[in-house]
Amino acid sequence: MTTAALIHVLVSGLATGSIYALMALSLVIVYNATRTLNFAQGEMLMVSTFVAWSSQRLLGLPLLAALLVAMVAAALLALVFERLVIRRAIGATHWDVLILTLGLSLILRAGAGIVWSHDEFPFPSFFADRPIALGPLRVAPASLGIIGASLVLMLALAVLFRWTRLGRAMRAVAQNQRAARLMGISVERVYASAWVLAAVVGAIAGVLVAPVIFLSSRMGLVVINGFTAAVLGGFGSMPGAVVGGMVLGVLENLAPLYLPSGIRYSVPFLVLIAMLLVRPAGLLGRVERRKV
Amino acid sequence: MRGALAALALILVAWPWVAPRYFVFLASLVLVNAVVAIGLNLLSGYTNQLSFGHAGFLAIGAYTAALVTIHAPRVPVIVTLAVAGIVTAIVGLAFGVPCLRLSGLYLAMATLAFGFVIVEAILNLDALTRGADGLPVPVARLGAWAFGGDAARYYLALVVTGLLVAGALNLTRSRIGRAFLAIRESEIAAQASGVPVARYKTLAFGVSAFYTGVAGGLFAFLVGFLSPDAFDVFLSVDFVVMIILGGLGSVPGSIAGAAVVTVLNDGLAAFQNYRPLIFGVILIACMLFMPGGIVGAARALARRLSAPSGGRPCASSSAA
Repeated sequence: MTTAALIHVLVSGLATGSIYALMALSLVIVYNATRTLNFAQGEMLMVSTFVAWSSQRLLGLPLLAALLVAMVAAALLALVFERLVIRRAIGATHWDVLILTLGLSLILRAGAGIVWSHDEFPFPSFFADRPIALGPLRVAPASLGIIGASLVLMLALAVLFRWTRLGRAMRAVAQNQRAARLMGISVERVYASAWVLAAVVGAIAGVLVAPVIFLSSRMGLVVINGFTAAVLGGFGSMPGAVVGGMVLGVLENLAPLYLPSGIRYSVPFLVLIAMLLVRPAGLLGRVERRKV
Repeated sequence: MRGALAALALILVAWPWVAPRYFVFLASLVLVNAVVAIGLNLLSGYTNQLSFGHAGFLAIGAYTAALVTIHAPRVPVIVTLAVAGIVTAIVGLAFGVPCLRLSGLYLAMATLAFGFVIVEAILNLDALTRGADGLPVPVARLGAWAFGGDAARYYLALVVTGLLVAGALNLTRSRIGRAFLAIRESEIAAQASGVPVARYKTLAFGVSAFYTGVAGGLFAFLVGFLSPDAFDVFLSVDFVVMIILGGLGSVPGSIAGAAVVTVLNDGLAAFQNYRPLIFGVILIACMLFMPGGIVGAARALARRLSAPSGGRPCASSSAA
């Protein structure tokens, strides 16, 4: 295999990986704030991407405006579900929240099927189709665009978490909820913010990836890849989520070259099982110590 | 209570004579799903290890039973079902032992991935399983008897389910069942009280897989044709809905949940798009308003009815 072809595979792997990384970041943002997993994160991504598509097709909005509509829709959806359901289940364990969000994911997926059908739709892209020639290399602009846009978004998240008041509050709640509350931080507001922030990141990821994989109600399954990416990097670690996403994307694109082609769809699952069994703390994570 | 149970037993035995043929099949499916729900509940409801991969275990049991019957048609069906259960239990143990390191959502996601990998494995091992083409299952035999008709298969499922329900009820009232419950309430407290947590969690995995494997064998004979897409993740989700709706940590609850979900599934067959929507609403409504499931709600109702006349309401344990 030539170097150029290998680089091509690596670039598309990194592009897929960027999406996994964004999905993983969404999961980790909610997990760090609330210590629960939002199983419906992928379906929320799917629904907000469909909203972007509809606003673009029906209202004739430009793609950028459609993206904004999708982000607002995602934020509203997250806010409503968090306020109406998650917060009612006070004292809910991660178990309960997992079941609640499983219910939400079933509802969203079925709802999308009813409103938009279970077909696949082409989705307009921000980027041109024609491959860019970089010397002997030919790379798809979509891949470079996805990688670039994801990196910008990740940088924005890093800034948010490091330097803004909300980001500090979220990190404080992640470290010690009771201490954060005693310092006057509204834990409830942090919960809601985490849900909204994660949903908005998901909406952006959805609009970025939809042109490549087509828009369909099956898109929500990306939550599993996102979870795998987060576990790979160490669940709860944000840099870990990014690294894990990239590694998973590259692995998934490389595996069919060296292994039977049927294995491609099993890659995330096999990686997840292997990682959980061998090193549950992940590449960059730390083992959580439990106190009684 | 005893009278109600006797009436239920009578209805179950007489069912093939009174019900139309299709409803005999549906009742058999309820029995099979009840066995899976009990198996899942032993793991998730009793021992607090959530599994989203039981469709994978069901597939292993079903394909094992089918392959045994194809390659050794003379083996009695009881032995075939036992083999299906044991093979699945071995896989369950092999998967469960390393999973001891995982808890909560990590375990849920690992089992979810397990379910996907099993389906992919069936698709790719087409020399054995005939992959996506599907595998026809021969008729089950026990000596001279052939379980060819709907009624015969119903009685096979009824007898096997009866045995397994009795086994589960006994198990949950034994030292093992109490150990499971202790682990659910608090692993640390259970360990401190001398319950070997790792051993019992592994045992729960094995027993749960055994139940699901036997159910898989029954399922194979019942439908007569296996294809990998029947065992997708949404089936695993159906099983989770059954135990949440029926009541976590309850054998009668598992049966009730399996019955409701199976009949609902069948009734909504014409409304495929709305089915997951309704199940999603059921899940959320149960978690918010009926955390004990059907069994919990029935118990609360019985307590309210008996309280004015019967004096002090008796606080029954959740381990029924």
